[in-house]
Amino acid sequence: MRSLLENRKALVGLGILGVFAAVAAIGPWLVGDPTDFVAVPLLPPSFAHWLGTTAQGQDVLAQTVAGARSTLFLGVIVGLATVTVGAIVGTAAGYFGGWVDEVLSLVINLFLLMPGLPLCVVIAAYLPAGPVTIGLVLVITGWAWSARVIRAQALSLRQSVFVSSAVVIGESPLRIVLLEILPNMTSLLASSLIGATTYAIGAEVGLEFLGMGDLGAVTWGTNLYWASNDVALPSGSWWTFVPTGACIALCGFALALVNNALDEISNPRLSAERAFVRATGRKRLDLHAPTPVLKSVQGGSNAPR
Amino acid sequence: MRFLLRRFGFYLTAAWASVTLAFVIPRLMPGDPATAMFSRFRGRLKPEALEALREAFGFTNAPLWKQYLQYVGHALQGDLGISIGYYPATVGSVIGQALAWTLFLSGLAVVLSFLLGTLLGLAAAWKRGGWLDGIGPPVLMLLGAFPYFWLAMAVLFLFGFQLGWFPLRHAYDDTLSAGLNLPFMLSTLQHVVLPAATVVAATVGGWMLSMRSTVINVMAEDYVLFAQAKGLSEARIVLHYVARNALLPNLAGFGMALGFVLSGSLLTEIVFSYPGQGYLLVRAVKSLDYPLIQGLFLTTTFAVLAANWMVDVVHVWLDPRTRS
Amino acid sequence: MALAACGGGRAAGEPGVIEIGEQRQSSSFTRNFNPLLELGDVRWPAKAAMYEPLLIWNALTGAFVAWLAESYRFSEDHLRLDFQIRRGVTWSDGKPFTARDVAFTFHLVKKVPALDLRNMWQFLADVRAIGDDAVEFHFVRPLVPSIEDISSQPIVPEHVWKDVADPFAFTNDHPVATGPFTEITSFKPQAYRVDRNPRYWKGLPSVKALHFRAYPANDQTILAIINDDLDWAGNFIPAVERIHVARDPAHHGYWFPAIDAMVMLFANTTVPPFGDVRVRKALSMAIDRQRVVTVAMHGYTHPADATGLSDAYDRLRDPAAVAAGAGWMKHDPEGARRLLDEAGVVIGPDGWRRGPDGTRLRLSLLVPVGFSDWVVASQIIARGLRKVGLDAGISTIDTNAWTEKVQRGEFVLSMGWTLPSYTPYGFYRGMLSRKTARPIGEDAPENWHRFGMPEADEVFTKLEATTDPAEERRLYHALEAMFAARAPAIPLFPGPLWGSFTTKRFTGFPDAHDPYAPLSPYLFPQALMVLTRLSPR
Repeated sequence: MRSLLENRKALVGLGILGVFAAVAAIGPWLVGDPTDFVAVPLLPPSFAHWLGTTAQGQDVLAQTVAGARSTLFLGVIVGLATVTVGAIVGTAAGYFGGWVDEVLSLVINLFLLMPGLPLCVVIAAYLPAGPVTIGLVLVITGWAWSARVIRAQALSLRQSVFVSSAVVIGESPLRIVLLEILPNMTSLLASSLIGATTYAIGAEVGLEFLGMGDLGAVTWGTNLYWASNDVALPSGSWWTFVPTGACIALCGFALALVNNALDEISNPRLSAERAFVRATGRKRLDLHAPTPVLKSVQGGSNAPR
Repeated sequence: MRFLLRRFGFYLTAAWASVTLAFVIPRLMPGDPATAMFSRFRGRLKPEALEALREAFGFTNAPLWKQYLQYVGHALQGDLGISIGYYPATVGSVIGQALAWTLFLSGLAVVLSFLLGTLLGLAAAWKRGGWLDGIGPPVLMLLGAFPYFWLAMAVLFLFGFQLGWFPLRHAYDDTLSAGLNLPFMLSTLQHVVLPAATVVAATVGGWMLSMRSTVINVMAEDYVLFAQAKGLSEARIVLHYVARNALLPNLAGFGMALGFVLSGSLLTEIVFSYPGQGYLLVRAVKSLDYPLIQGLFLTTTFAVLAANWMVDVVHVWLDPRTRS
Repeated sequence: MALAACGGGRAAGEPGVIEIGEQRQSSSFTRNFNPLLELGDVRWPAKAAMYEPLLIWNALTGAFVAWLAESYRFSEDHLRLDFQIRRGVTWSDGKPFTARDVAFTFHLVKKVPALDLRNMWQFLADVRAIGDDAVEFHFVRPLVPSIEDISSQPIVPEHVWKDVADPFAFTNDHPVATGPFTEITSFKPQAYRVDRNPRYWKGLPSVKALHFRAYPANDQTILAIINDDLDWAGNFIPAVERIHVARDPAHHGYWFPAIDAMVMLFANTTVPPFGDVRVRKALSMAIDRQRVVTVAMHGYTHPADATGLSDAYDRLRDPAAVAAGAGWMKHDPEGARRLLDEAGVVIGPDGWRRGPDGTRLRLSLLVPVGFSDWVVASQIIARGLRKVGLDAGISTIDTNAWTEKVQRGEFVLSMGWTLPSYTPYGFYRGMLSRKTARPIGEDAPENWHRFGMPEADEVFTKLEATTDPAEERRLYHALEAMFAARAPAIPLFPGPLWGSFTTKRFTGFPDAHDPYAPLSPYLFPQALMVLTRLSPR
């Protein structure tokens, strides 16, 4: 965890996410009712309204802030749910092996191949519009990704010495999974969670843009739906469209940064390279330089033993 | 060979599952096409007229399993039924053209994105710490974080509407007729630039990062060091050894990427009025056009299965280890 | 932000070929020109440019325009309607058009009930051609307003259609018709073109051909409109002055007269307390219609009055009825609270009103998801209701599911349209007649609020048997008074009829300065009136 905080990429990513989390948590109290009709429609950004107004005379800043809460909240929930389902199925498949694995792998692969968004559109169109429906279809179409990755890791962990010995001792499968296997997958689980959340946010926004969300609610996706419906671009009202898109991109970017950082930390080669670059005081890694011999190394979790 | 056969078996199972899913989903959902028809006529249909319509569409009251077998049987013969919204056109004819365009756009975009991303990833990893390695990943990651349709709208507005460099809609110029003639083919290329560019911009970052990652791992392998020690030229090492070995793990993701792109291209097609399947699906769903929804779902899934199958074949061809 | 007026994909149009926007949004066209069908994907020209009806109703003049029929007359007992058929009309393949084609068409839809879109054989006993130029319609009972249905039926040629095996599935790929544009010269999935009919009875049209491109959604269509890629369209355009007119004030025009059907808030009168007229009136007083019109409808229309009539019926509006209902059509939250208290819908300890049975009222206002302007309107309405103490929220649902719910009466409050008709007869029948009020659970195409009064039915019966304009006027005024008194449903605003054009290449479009016909191309057969007046520059 500490190494995460030391990583520059992770810091930037977590920083951005932190800002958005704060905005989502307290923002709505600061900006007032986003559905309130406050001014003449389609005003460009000004001191009175920092991001201008929508075609219905609503404050774009208020809508963006309010949308952050709904979108991010649903995204995180769906991410958690997706990884949970994926973890259950994945570890079951990896741990039990045999025909259980065969069957579950088949199911995982089937779900992986189903085209996600079309399936979402088909299901979401029939169920009542709203976050529950969207959440449901996203979990159904998204769990297989994490399941596959977790299964692979569970399989290899199953072969490891400490797990085999636990089996020999006679520990119950549940205990083994919870106490031996899952704890060794933390970085993988974290990475899956981030990936799932990114997917959730993107797909959620996409579905809402198509008009399949609750149009009465204020979310980033519905903001873009209304902007498009009210012909944002041809009328030159870029401010109804750009802020929300930028926010979504920043969140996705931040999540990707953190994911990347996690990758680096868990890939010993990459972290060794970083330490090496820092230690030798060079600006970049030069593959053709001779291998230096280190006289001594102080501290750091990356220190070789 | 065994590997291929096993995979083929899997694809058959997946195909069967798709057919079943395509049949089941519309029927599980609330809403009834007969009522949709009734409402479309604003209720002026007499009961006899409604019955006549029902029969015309094949909505029988036969038990579900019988309907299912009928459906599967017809599907195997290529008969996907008659569309409600485009009555009396058959589902096959409605989908046919749309599928071709979607495959063209998505296929082109995926291949371009893969090639570009792979090359960029290779270059970035080989010149570790260089400017490409520093700037490339963050910029492309940021670009890829924008929703597909957002990028599409921005691109359409900037390059199509404001600057007028590219056409605003459709797959080819309306005054031309489709066929193997040069004007048509040129027009097609001109119209696919913006939509494909959008998809490429949104996805190239992923390919670059994963290629960079695998190249880094491969470069640390002993044989690369050995080749360097032996004095082989860098170009040869990179292209002949590193690239080929780093490519393999990414290839597995290629087939899956096609499925992903087919989904995302749905949104891109709508923004660019590109006559593909994506838009067709949204309209079919909104008008409860069961036969069309089923047909679209089936064809999309089958396309993904076929793509993955081809990727598997290529994989076997490229990687001698799987052939044993 | 100044927009550069760059070309951006503007195709150079052939002179004389006009670009029209099809109503159906699609990414590709199917070749179906069957004018008798409503279901499926029939191309616009089938009913608006190829096949013609006997008469065309012009809502702006309040009178019929003679078309394929030169005149009509009801018999004394109103059980027979005679049409004098125009002479000298030929089909586009040269064969003469006669009264026999008219009779054939009506008998065809009798034979294939799915094509009898207006259920005419419910009241028709027989249709006979008398010679070449007269047709007699015999009724089962007097039903004068049915001339609306009969006169608008597209007429098809007997010599072609008598050999068609299944008229319902017939796509009519090579139409033979009487209209101004009948020759399909090119048909591709993305675009098609229909050239003028050299044998047209009104003379060769000045416009050479009609051209159509496929647009999948509203924003693509609007992009084309403001970019001069569409000469004539009927789409809703937000901020039309800014994004359309301002781009080319000399040529770009629009006209959105509020003559389409009234948009209403329906309260299910079978659900207490909405059976109480005071509660319905209170609902109405809680709504700030001016805000709804300004924000949701971009100021394109105006608040309705107590007669519930759209601007199409201005000639028949009774100022006395308007005045009588002015009280409950005004935005008056205080008055609404008083009325609700009076009706026994009082505020409970939690601040929200309770029904007469004491339970808290939780009102869900249904809105179909496809109509974005309705969604915004319903948001404003729900806020207004909450301000007077009613716990109201909106529920956006899929359009098909919404249709099911309102037709079955499974709702408490819902937005809704009314069926447009040439006279207020159809409108009021759907508002006040017991004959249209079906019990809950049964599908009802109109009268979703399930309300009926016997006094109204008496008036309807009289209307069905009179052709005297003065008598009609008196009867409509009576209906208006009933509506203003009983408030069966809550009128919000008359729907605008969308229409936009550019005169860069063609002139002759109707607009506010020259209202010779409605501008919207989506009105058929009214579009024929415009098509025959347009000419290239």
